This record gives sequence, C-alpha cells and structure tokens, in this order.
Amino acid sequence: MHAPPDNRLSLLESVLSAVSLGAIVLDGERRIVLWNGWMTRHSGRAAEQMVGQDFFAAFPELRGHRVDAAIQQALYNNFPSLLSQTLNKAPFPLFARPGDQDRLQQAVEVMPVSLADAARHCLIQITDVSLAVGREKLLREQAMVLRSQTFSDGLTGIANRRHFDVAMEKEHRRAKRGNLPLSLLMIDIDNFKAYNDHYGHQKGDQCLIQVAAALAAILKRPGDLIARYGGEEFAIVLPETDVEQATLLADALRLRASELGIPHERSSSEARIVTVSIGVATQVAGQPVEIAALIGAADRALYQAKRSGRNRTHARLPD
Amino acid sequence: MFNLSELENDALVEVFNIGVGQAASSMSGIVNETVRMSVPSISFMNRADAGRMLAGGPDLAQERICGVSQNYDGAFRTEAILMFPEDKSLEIVRLMVGEAVPLKELTEMEQEAMCEIGNIILNSCVGTLANIFQRELQGSLPRYHLGTSDEILTATGSQDDTVLMLHIDFVVERQQIHGYVAFILGMSALHDLKDQINQYIARAMGQA
Amino acid sequence: MTAKLILIVDDSRVSRMMARQYISNLHGDWQVDEAATGEEALERVRQLAPDLVLMDVNMPGMGGIAAAEQIRALLPTLPISLLTANVQTATRERASQLGIGFMEKPITEARIAQLIAPLEG
Repeated sequence: MHAPPDNRLSLLESVLSAVSLGAIVLDGERRIVLWNGWMTRHSGRAAEQMVGQDFFAAFPELRGHRVDAAIQQALYNNFPSLLSQTLNKAPFPLFARPGDQDRLQQAVEVMPVSLADAARHCLIQITDVSLAVGREKLLREQAMVLRSQTFSDGLTGIANRRHFDVAMEKEHRRAKRGNLPLSLLMIDIDNFKAYNDHYGHQKGDQCLIQVAAALAAILKRPGDLIARYGGEEFAIVLPETDVEQATLLADALRLRASELGIPHERSSSEARIVTVSIGVATQVAGQPVEIAALIGAADRALYQAKRSGRNRTHARLPD
Repeated sequence: MFNLSELENDALVEVFNIGVGQAASSMSGIVNETVRMSVPSISFMNRADAGRMLAGGPDLAQERICGVSQNYDGAFRTEAILMFPEDKSLEIVRLMVGEAVPLKELTEMEQEAMCEIGNIILNSCVGTLANIFQRELQGSLPRYHLGTSDEILTATGSQDDTVLMLHIDFVVERQQIHGYVAFILGMSALHDLKDQINQYIARAMGQA
Repeated sequence: MTAKLILIVDDSRVSRMMARQYISNLHGDWQVDEAATGEEALERVRQLAPDLVLMDVNMPGMGGIAAAEQIRALLPTLPISLLTANVQTATRERASQLGIGFMEKPITEARIAQLIAPLEG
C-alpha cells in the first residue's frame, strides 16, 4: 500500500537529502527548481538562495561550455550526457569542507526528466570521485616505478639488456638525424669463468657488482649509458663521441677496473688481479651504419683485444 | 541489401556531416585545439560483413576494437556504436587527455573519457537526425566495450541485422584518425529512415 | 533592385539544391550558380563575377577556407560567407582575418535570408 501523497512527498525529500551525490534540477527555462542537501553541504550555498535562480546566473563560468551543451541536449533532444572527470576538471565549485582550497573531483551526468504537466526538465547529477582519482594516481605512479625497475639489471643495478636495446635505437636514430658520431664499447671481464670456478659464484657476483659500479662512476654525461649486456659483458653507448674520445674513455675505464685490485689467482695478467678487455667501435658522423654492424664491429674489436693479450682496448670502424 | 538513391544518400551524408561538425566544435572546446570531423561516406551492410570490414581483413579479425555504444528509442530504435581500432583509440584518448598511456593500462578514468567522446559524437549525429526529421527520441548513457568487431556488434543482443556504417575522419593536432559509427537498424527503421529523408528533401524544396 | 547572382559552393548536391530553393523563395528573379569543389568555385568566380559567394568549409580537395583565401586574393571586395557546422575560434579568427562572414549549418531559409540581407541594400 502506498503512503498518502503528503507522506510520500516528504519521504522522497528526505531520501533526496540523504543521498551521497549532488542533484540539481533545472526547468525548461534553466531555472534551478531543486538543490539537494549534498549540494548545500559541499557548495556552501543553501537551497533557499539557489532555488528560483537562473542556472547561468549562479554559474556564469559554465556558459558556452560542456555543461551548457549537455543541458541543451537534455532539454531539447531528450538525450543524457556524461561529463567525465578526465576531460572536465571539477566544473562545479564543490569542496570536501567549506573553506577548502581544492575542489572535489567530479563526475557529472545530465539527464532529461519528463513531467506530465510541464516542459521537460533536466537533472544534473554530481558524484564525488576524488578517492577514485587518488587511487588511480597512486597506481599510475607505482606502475611507473615498476617499469623503471624492469629496465635495470637486478644484480648490478645498472641498465639491463632491454634498456640497452632501447637506448641504442634511440641514439642511433639521433646520430643519423643530427649527423653525429656514435660510439659503442663492449667490455668483457677477463677470465671471468675461471674466477667463478676458483672463488665461487657469490664472489663472482660481488666482482660484477664492483666492476659495474666502478665503470658507471666514470661516465659523466647523461646520454652515456652503461648496461649489462651478458653474463660478464658490459656495453656502453656513447652518443656524440668520436673514435678518439671513445678510445680515451675506454683506456680510462680499463685502468679504473684494474685499479680496483680485485685479486684473481687465475688471471692471465701478471698482477693476478681482475682486468677487462674493451672493444671500441665508432659510427662516423654522416656515415651511419646498421646497429647490428656497429655491435658486430665492437665485438670483433673486443675479440681482437682478447687475442692481443687481454687487459687492453682495441678500436675498429664498422665495415 | 537496403540502399538509398544518390540524392537520398547525399542528404543523409550531409546531415551526418552537420552532426559530426557540431561534435567537433564541442570537442575542440574541451582540448583547446582545432578539431575537425567529417563523414566522407556511408554504406549499408549486414552485421557479418560489418564485422569483417571493421576487422580490416581476415588476419586482423581478432584485433581488438574500442567501442562506445548508446541505445536510442522512441520514433525509431537503433543502437549506435562509435568505433576506433584499439591503437587509434589510445591516440584519441592521448590527444584528448594529453597523456601517453598503453591501452592495456587504460584506466577506468580514461575509459570514462572515451565514453564521453562517444556520448558527444553519437548524440550529435542522432540529434541532428532527429531534429531534421522533426522526431522525438530518447537515448541512453554510453557504454564502453573492448573486443573484436564481431563481439562489439553483437554486444546488445539486438536481432536487427542491418548496419548503417559511417566512415569518420577525425583530425586533431594534425593527426588524422579514421573511425566508424555503426547504426544497427531493423527493416522498419530503415524504411522509416528512407521516408524521413524524402520528406526532408521535399520540405526543403517547398514541395511538402 | 537589380537581380543578383549568387554562387553556391558545396560538395553536397542536396545542400546546393536547398540553398537554391531558399534563395528562390526569397527572390524569385535572382540567379544562382553552383560549384561542387573549391577549384570549380575559383573558375566560376573568374567567369561570372557573382555578387555573393556562399562556401561550404568541409569539402574534399581544396577546402572552403583555402578557396575563400584565393578568391579574396583575386577579388578583395567580393562578399564571401563560409558555411560550417563546426564553428571554432580558429574558424572565426580566420574568417575575420580574411574579411569574410560565416554562418552555421544546417542551412535554413532564415539563415539564407540573413546572408543575403546586405545585398538587398
């Protein structure tokens, strides 16, 4: 059995007061005819001041924009509209508490409302989505952190092979466009297998970490990238670096590695310490080659350095 | 397959161009950039063919498409779906939202943005149609879909089989993106459409 | 008032027909010529010297704005009006720079009446 009309009306009014979203109803002339409790609480404007006002007199900044277009769609075409939080930043002046600086994040829907005895009205429904927006921002930030982690090598903390590939692509393109030289260093720890066999894998890992750190510390320019290319192999991308500069740097790196003085009983070096061999390849400015060719040249240079006795550098230009 | 005479086709294309033109105007207000949209052509086909066409080829049939749909009812009934290939949708969202996000990470918030874009474009197209035909309709809020073309076209379970397909050119920031709007219609709605177009032309020619 | 000549440029035949009908409703003795593309419009303008050009913006090939620019360069005082459903700040500004008017689509008799009013002196 339905409640008698008066009770029903006051029931509905109580419900409208209690719902946790903003409800504004406009008549066919865009006058505000309903302004619920939530709107009062979050706008600081009471129903008594709002009801009867022209909507655009109350919110002149909304004229000619999306809310205006949505109201027109509802009143003239009988179509509902969605105003996403993403594309419409907080259109209404609504706050968590009166006096707050930042507006609530809002999702807005504008719906036509048909009435038996009057021209079409429209309902503007506003939902506070601040929490959802905050959550998504957090998730986005966490995703970014994770993404950056998958570009680094778990053991040494320097860039991983994936990062190297991406950086190489980028610098190769840049060198081609800018007619700049591009150098690549391939660095291999000498007799590393023997080190592992003799000292064990844990010490082998320690050695890799130390060498990686020492080499990375020498690179100063933001564009230079050192990456773990393979088990005991490192690669260094040197944009805008010609063969002389690259060779100088390679020598400095080789020296730094030996200065670590990590004992290596099975090393072929006289001093019985850990050393590295370095292959240098340079793509001359204005003469770009395929990335694979540059890597191949660096590899061959590295091989040459090994063959010539290790603990040395060797440079090559790509064929 | 249902078709229109050249004149009827011309009139309908012009009506849709007006609709998307107004939508572009709205959208340019949102992004503060020049936005251009046009409907170079329309065609009628059955749902299976529409699915194939949208997939862009048999090997691409499993590629995913982003769609936003709204139902309309009243003087005639149709389901309208705005569709872009998956990678183009993220372009649109990126252009409208100003951020680079992989589609798999299209968050609920960005799906909402895509829904609003669909809402603007579809309401504009159907609204212009309703105005010119002087008919009253009611519409629904937008729904987001991600799936193969077949999945999207059958999502509502409507039994109607004819698709009025609009090809849409969308230009923002000098980027041109090609998309589609599909109207799924039954036979009576189609004949009604043809009637209405003719009445519109006759009225304009002072003959009605 | 002498009969005027109006050139209507629109790739939609129905649009051209409607504009022609509305003009004829308002002034039965006025002449109407049609062009379907920006290129055709340029030709007709050179050949015919119309009193007013009504130009759709959204056309394939040379668009309405480019055609209007070229016509403006040829004939600095010929009244031109752009017709578009997509009225944006950029369109407004360009039109104003070129010294041409613009009118919102859809084309209605009332809008045509507004456009030809200046010719009625």
